[in-house]
Amino acid sequence: MTDELLVVRAQLGERDAFAGLVREWHEPVHAFVRRMLGPGAADDVAQEVWLAVVRGLPRLKDPARFAPWLFSIARRAVTNRLRAEYARPAAPGPGPEPDIGDAVVDRALVAAGLAGVPVLERELLILFYLQDLSLETCAEICGVPVGTVKSRLSRGRRLLRTSLAQKGHHA
Amino acid sequence: MNADDMLHRLAAPLSPARRLVTVVTLLGGLGGATVAGTLWATEPALPPATQAAFAAMVAIGLGWCGWAVWVLTRRTPLFARDRVVAGWLGLAASSLLAAFVTAVTISRDRLAPAALGMAAVLLAAALINLIRARSHRAALLRRKRELGGPR
Repeated sequence: MTDELLVVRAQLGERDAFAGLVREWHEPVHAFVRRMLGPGAADDVAQEVWLAVVRGLPRLKDPARFAPWLFSIARRAVTNRLRAEYARPAAPGPGPEPDIGDAVVDRALVAAGLAGVPVLERELLILFYLQDLSLETCAEICGVPVGTVKSRLSRGRRLLRTSLAQKGHHA
Repeated sequence: MNADDMLHRLAAPLSPARRLVTVVTLLGGLGGATVAGTLWATEPALPPATQAAFAAMVAIGLGWCGWAVWVLTRRTPLFARDRVVAGWLGLAASSLLAAFVTAVTISRDRLAPAALGMAAVLLAAALINLIRARSHRAALLRRKRELGGPR
Protein backbone atom coordinates (compact mmCIF):
# COMPACT_ATOMS: atom_id res chain seq x y z
CA MET A 1 0.00 0.00 0.00
CA THR A 2 1.44 3.40 -0.99
CA ASP A 3 2.08 6.19 1.51
CA GLU A 4 -0.45 8.37 -0.30
CA LEU A 5 -3.18 5.78 0.17
CA LEU A 6 -2.27 5.34 3.84
CA VAL A 7 -2.39 9.12 4.33
CA VAL A 8 -5.76 9.46 2.57
CA ARG A 9 -7.20 6.62 4.67
CA ALA A 10 -5.75 8.17 7.84
CA GLN A 11 -7.27 11.55 6.89
CA LEU A 12 -10.62 9.80 6.56
CA GLY A 13 -10.23 8.65 10.15
CA GLU A 14 -9.13 5.01 9.68
CA ARG A 15 -6.96 4.32 12.71
CA ASP A 16 -5.32 1.22 11.24
CA ALA A 17 -4.04 3.38 8.37
CA PHE A 18 -2.53 5.86 10.82
CA ALA A 19 -0.94 2.94 12.66
CA GLY A 20 0.47 1.79 9.30
CA LEU A 21 2.06 5.21 8.77
CA VAL A 22 3.62 5.14 12.22
CA ARG A 23 4.94 1.59 11.68
CA GLU A 24 6.48 2.57 8.35
CA TRP A 25 7.93 5.96 9.30
CA HIS A 26 8.67 5.79 13.01
CA GLU A 27 12.13 4.28 12.60
CA PRO A 28 13.34 6.80 9.95
CA VAL A 29 12.04 9.71 12.04
CA HIS A 30 13.52 8.30 15.24
CA ALA A 31 16.86 7.68 13.52
CA PHE A 32 16.94 11.24 12.14
CA VAL A 33 16.18 12.73 15.55
CA ARG A 34 18.63 10.38 17.29
CA ARG A 35 21.46 11.25 14.90
CA MET A 36 20.78 14.97 15.24
CA LEU A 37 20.28 15.13 19.01
CA GLY A 38 21.76 11.94 20.43
CA PRO A 39 19.87 9.07 22.03
CA GLY A 40 18.91 10.93 25.23
CA ALA A 41 16.20 13.19 23.76
CA ALA A 42 15.23 11.03 20.77
CA ASP A 43 12.13 9.37 22.27
CA ASP A 44 10.56 12.60 23.53
CA VAL A 45 11.29 14.55 20.35
CA ALA A 46 10.00 11.70 18.16
CA GLN A 47 6.79 11.78 20.21
CA GLU A 48 6.56 15.57 19.66
CA VAL A 49 6.90 14.93 15.94
CA TRP A 50 4.11 12.34 15.86
CA LEU A 51 1.83 14.54 17.97
CA ALA A 52 2.36 17.33 15.44
CA VAL A 53 1.54 14.81 12.69
CA VAL A 54 -1.73 13.85 14.43
CA ARG A 55 -2.63 17.53 14.70
CA GLY A 56 -1.63 18.46 11.18
CA LEU A 57 -2.63 15.39 9.16
CA PRO A 58 -6.31 16.35 8.68
CA ARG A 59 -5.12 19.59 7.02
CA LEU A 60 -2.34 18.10 4.88
CA LYS A 61 -3.22 19.29 1.36
CA ASP A 62 -1.08 16.92 -0.71
CA PRO A 63 -1.01 13.36 0.70
CA ALA A 64 1.58 12.36 -1.91
CA ARG A 65 4.10 14.71 -0.23
CA PHE A 66 3.84 13.04 3.17
CA ALA A 67 7.56 12.22 3.57
CA PRO A 68 8.87 15.80 3.04
CA TRP A 69 6.09 17.13 5.27
CA LEU A 70 6.95 14.62 8.00
CA PHE A 71 10.68 15.41 7.87
CA SER A 72 9.92 19.15 7.88
CA ILE A 73 8.10 18.62 11.16
CA ALA A 74 10.97 16.50 12.50
CA ARG A 75 13.49 19.13 11.44
CA ARG A 76 11.45 21.87 13.16
CA ALA A 77 11.38 19.81 16.37
CA VAL A 78 15.15 19.30 16.17
CA THR A 79 15.71 22.99 15.37
CA ASN A 80 13.78 23.96 18.50
CA ARG A 81 16.18 21.86 20.59
CA LEU A 82 19.31 23.07 18.77
CA ARG A 83 18.33 26.71 18.30
CA ALA A 84 21.75 27.98 19.37
CA GLU A 85 23.64 25.68 16.98
CA TYR A 86 21.38 26.51 14.03
CA ALA A 87 21.84 30.22 14.71
CA ARG A 88 25.60 29.97 14.11
CA PRO A 89 26.63 31.29 10.67
CA ALA A 90 27.39 28.58 8.13
CA ALA A 91 31.04 27.91 7.32
CA PRO A 92 32.33 29.35 4.00
CA GLY A 93 31.56 27.28 0.91
CA PRO A 94 34.09 24.88 -0.60
CA GLY A 95 34.14 26.43 -4.08
CA PRO A 96 32.65 24.69 -7.13
CA GLU A 97 29.58 22.53 -6.54
CA PRO A 98 30.24 18.80 -6.61
CA ASP A 99 28.50 16.21 -8.75
CA ILE A 100 26.40 14.39 -6.18
CA GLY A 101 25.98 11.41 -8.50
CA ASP A 102 29.72 10.70 -8.39
CA ALA A 103 29.92 10.86 -4.64
CA VAL A 104 30.13 7.41 -3.12
CA VAL A 105 29.68 7.58 0.59
CA ASP A 106 29.46 4.52 2.74
CA ARG A 107 26.28 4.67 4.84
CA ALA A 108 27.92 3.07 7.87
CA LEU A 109 30.78 5.57 7.70
CA VAL A 110 28.32 8.47 7.45
CA ALA A 111 26.49 7.23 10.53
CA ALA A 112 29.76 6.77 12.44
CA GLY A 113 31.12 10.25 11.78
CA LEU A 114 27.97 12.38 12.03
CA ALA A 115 28.50 13.55 15.58
CA GLY A 116 31.52 15.59 14.49
CA VAL A 117 29.65 17.48 11.73
CA PRO A 118 27.77 20.79 12.39
CA VAL A 119 23.97 20.59 12.40
CA LEU A 120 23.29 22.29 9.04
CA GLU A 121 25.52 19.81 7.21
CA ARG A 122 24.63 16.86 9.48
CA GLU A 123 20.88 17.06 8.78
CA LEU A 124 21.50 16.96 5.03
CA LEU A 125 23.95 14.07 5.25
CA ILE A 126 21.27 12.12 7.16
CA LEU A 127 18.39 13.05 4.84
CA PHE A 128 20.31 12.51 1.60
CA TYR A 129 22.56 9.55 2.37
CA LEU A 130 20.76 7.71 5.16
CA GLN A 131 17.10 8.43 4.29
CA ASP A 132 17.69 8.33 0.52
CA LEU A 133 15.67 11.50 -0.09
CA SER A 134 16.20 13.42 -3.33
CA LEU A 135 18.04 16.74 -3.49
CA GLU A 136 14.75 18.51 -4.26
CA THR A 137 13.03 16.90 -1.26
CA CYS A 138 15.96 17.79 1.01
CA ALA A 139 15.75 21.38 -0.23
CA GLU A 140 12.00 21.46 0.49
CA ILE A 141 12.47 20.06 4.00
CA CYS A 142 15.27 22.50 4.88
CA GLY A 143 13.68 25.47 3.11
CA VAL A 144 16.77 26.26 1.03
CA PRO A 145 17.56 26.16 -2.72
CA VAL A 146 18.90 22.92 -4.26
CA GLY A 147 22.26 24.65 -4.88
CA THR A 148 22.61 25.33 -1.17
CA VAL A 149 21.83 21.67 -0.45
CA LYS A 150 24.59 20.60 -2.85
CA SER A 151 27.15 22.93 -1.33
CA ARG A 152 26.22 21.91 2.22
CA LEU A 153 26.47 18.23 1.25
CA SER A 154 29.90 18.85 -0.23
CA ARG A 155 31.05 20.68 2.88
CA GLY A 156 29.42 17.97 5.03
CA ARG A 157 31.39 15.22 3.27
CA ARG A 158 34.61 17.14 3.79
CA LEU A 159 33.85 17.64 7.48
CA LEU A 160 32.77 14.02 7.76
CA ARG A 161 36.09 12.85 6.32
CA THR A 162 37.90 15.03 8.83
CA SER A 163 35.74 13.70 11.65
CA LEU A 164 36.32 10.10 10.58
CA ALA A 165 40.06 10.65 10.17
CA GLN A 166 40.22 11.94 13.71
CA LYS A 167 38.46 8.76 14.84
CA GLY A 168 40.93 6.61 12.90
CA HIS A 169 38.65 5.63 9.96
CA HIS A 170 39.72 5.97 6.33
CA ALA A 171 36.87 7.38 4.19
CA MET B 1 11.26 2.93 21.45
CA ASN B 2 9.54 1.07 18.63
CA ALA B 3 6.48 1.98 16.55
CA ASP B 4 4.05 0.13 18.82
CA ASP B 5 5.36 2.02 21.87
CA MET B 6 4.81 5.26 19.96
CA LEU B 7 1.25 4.25 19.01
CA HIS B 8 0.61 3.51 22.66
CA ARG B 9 1.80 7.03 23.57
CA LEU B 10 -0.48 8.51 20.88
CA ALA B 11 -3.57 6.63 22.06
CA ALA B 12 -5.09 9.65 23.86
CA PRO B 13 -4.86 12.24 21.04
CA LEU B 14 -6.10 9.63 18.57
CA SER B 15 -9.08 8.61 20.72
CA PRO B 16 -12.42 9.14 18.89
CA ALA B 17 -14.19 9.36 22.26
CA ARG B 18 -12.05 12.36 23.20
CA ARG B 19 -12.95 14.11 19.95
CA LEU B 20 -16.64 13.37 20.45
CA VAL B 21 -16.56 14.72 24.03
CA THR B 22 -14.91 17.92 22.76
CA VAL B 23 -17.55 18.36 20.03
CA VAL B 24 -20.34 17.78 22.56
CA THR B 25 -18.70 20.34 24.90
CA LEU B 26 -18.62 22.84 22.03
CA LEU B 27 -22.29 22.31 21.21
CA GLY B 28 -23.28 22.24 24.89
CA GLY B 29 -21.47 25.51 25.59
CA LEU B 30 -22.95 27.20 22.56
CA GLY B 31 -26.42 25.81 23.27
CA GLY B 32 -26.31 26.78 26.94
CA ALA B 33 -25.20 30.31 26.11
CA THR B 34 -27.96 30.67 23.49
CA VAL B 35 -30.68 29.33 25.79
CA ALA B 36 -29.60 31.59 28.66
CA GLY B 37 -29.30 34.54 26.27
CA THR B 38 -32.78 33.91 24.85
CA LEU B 39 -34.40 33.69 28.29
CA TRP B 40 -32.53 36.83 29.34
CA ALA B 41 -33.60 38.73 26.22
CA THR B 42 -37.28 37.72 26.43
CA GLU B 43 -37.81 38.18 30.18
CA PRO B 44 -39.19 41.65 30.99
CA ALA B 45 -37.92 43.78 33.90
CA LEU B 46 -35.38 41.48 35.53
CA PRO B 47 -33.68 42.59 38.77
CA PRO B 48 -29.93 43.32 38.46
CA ALA B 49 -28.91 40.17 40.35
CA THR B 50 -30.84 37.94 37.91
CA GLN B 51 -29.40 39.81 34.95
CA ALA B 52 -25.93 39.24 36.37
CA ALA B 53 -26.71 35.52 36.77
CA PHE B 54 -27.84 35.28 33.11
CA ALA B 55 -24.71 37.13 32.02
CA ALA B 56 -22.58 34.69 34.01
CA MET B 57 -24.35 31.69 32.41
CA VAL B 58 -23.80 33.13 28.93
CA ALA B 59 -20.13 33.76 29.74
CA ILE B 60 -19.63 30.23 31.11
CA GLY B 61 -21.28 28.70 28.03
CA LEU B 62 -19.13 30.78 25.68
CA GLY B 63 -16.04 29.93 27.76
CA TRP B 64 -16.59 26.20 27.29
CA CYS B 65 -17.31 26.82 23.64
CA GLY B 66 -14.02 28.73 23.23
CA TRP B 67 -12.05 25.99 24.98
CA ALA B 68 -13.55 23.32 22.70
CA VAL B 69 -12.78 25.39 19.59
CA TRP B 70 -9.18 25.76 20.75
CA VAL B 71 -8.87 22.00 21.34
CA LEU B 72 -10.39 21.15 17.96
CA THR B 73 -8.23 23.59 16.04
CA ARG B 74 -4.92 23.23 17.93
CA ARG B 75 -4.80 19.95 19.84
CA THR B 76 -6.95 17.29 18.22
CA PRO B 77 -8.30 18.38 14.83
CA LEU B 78 -11.09 16.25 13.43
CA PHE B 79 -10.52 13.67 10.71
CA ALA B 80 -13.00 13.57 7.81
CA ARG B 81 -15.29 10.99 9.39
CA ASP B 82 -15.29 12.89 12.71
CA ARG B 83 -16.14 16.11 10.89
CA VAL B 84 -19.23 14.54 9.32
CA VAL B 85 -20.40 13.17 12.70
CA ALA B 86 -19.71 16.56 14.31
CA GLY B 87 -21.56 18.24 11.43
CA TRP B 88 -24.71 16.17 12.01
CA LEU B 89 -24.52 16.78 15.77
CA GLY B 90 -24.13 20.51 15.12
CA LEU B 91 -27.11 20.56 12.75
CA ALA B 92 -29.28 18.65 15.25
CA ALA B 93 -28.27 20.92 18.13
CA SER B 94 -28.77 24.14 16.17
CA SER B 95 -32.18 22.94 14.91
CA LEU B 96 -33.25 22.25 18.50
CA LEU B 97 -31.97 25.67 19.53
CA ALA B 98 -33.79 27.41 16.70
CA ALA B 99 -37.01 25.59 17.68
CA PHE B 100 -36.49 26.55 21.33
CA VAL B 101 -35.83 30.22 20.57
CA THR B 102 -38.86 30.40 18.26
CA ALA B 103 -41.09 28.70 20.85
CA VAL B 104 -39.94 31.05 23.59
CA THR B 105 -40.48 34.19 21.56
CA ILE B 106 -43.97 33.01 20.48
CA SER B 107 -45.05 31.88 23.96
CA ARG B 108 -43.93 35.12 25.61
CA ASP B 109 -45.27 37.27 22.81
CA ARG B 110 -42.05 39.26 22.98
CA LEU B 111 -39.83 39.52 19.94
CA ALA B 112 -36.11 38.97 20.57
CA PRO B 113 -34.43 39.77 17.26
CA ALA B 114 -30.92 39.18 18.60
CA ALA B 115 -31.79 35.67 19.85
CA LEU B 116 -33.70 34.79 16.66
CA GLY B 117 -30.87 36.13 14.53
CA MET B 118 -28.31 34.16 16.52
CA ALA B 119 -30.35 30.95 16.14
CA ALA B 120 -30.67 31.54 12.39
CA VAL B 121 -26.95 32.19 12.02
CA LEU B 122 -26.09 29.04 13.99
CA LEU B 123 -28.48 26.95 11.89
CA ALA B 124 -27.02 28.29 8.64
CA ALA B 125 -23.44 27.78 9.88
CA ALA B 126 -24.23 24.21 10.96
CA LEU B 127 -25.74 23.44 7.55
CA ILE B 128 -22.77 24.89 5.65
CA ASN B 129 -20.35 23.06 7.96
CA LEU B 130 -22.11 19.74 7.32
CA ILE B 131 -22.13 20.27 3.54
CA ARG B 132 -18.40 21.09 3.56
CA ALA B 133 -17.57 18.10 5.79
CA ARG B 134 -19.49 15.69 3.54
CA SER B 135 -17.90 17.11 0.42
CA HIS B 136 -14.39 16.85 1.94
CA ARG B 137 -15.03 13.23 2.97
CA ALA B 138 -16.46 12.39 -0.48
CA ALA B 139 -13.33 13.82 -2.15
CA LEU B 140 -11.07 11.70 0.09
CA LEU B 141 -13.17 8.58 -0.56
CA ARG B 142 -12.89 9.22 -4.32
CA ARG B 143 -9.11 9.54 -4.03
CA LYS B 144 -8.98 6.37 -1.92
CA ARG B 145 -10.84 4.43 -4.65
CA GLU B 146 -8.54 5.87 -7.35
CA LEU B 147 -5.53 4.65 -5.38
CA GLY B 148 -7.04 1.16 -5.11
CA GLY B 149 -7.84 1.34 -1.42
CA PRO B 150 -10.04 -1.24 0.31
CA ARG B 151 -13.78 -0.51 0.52
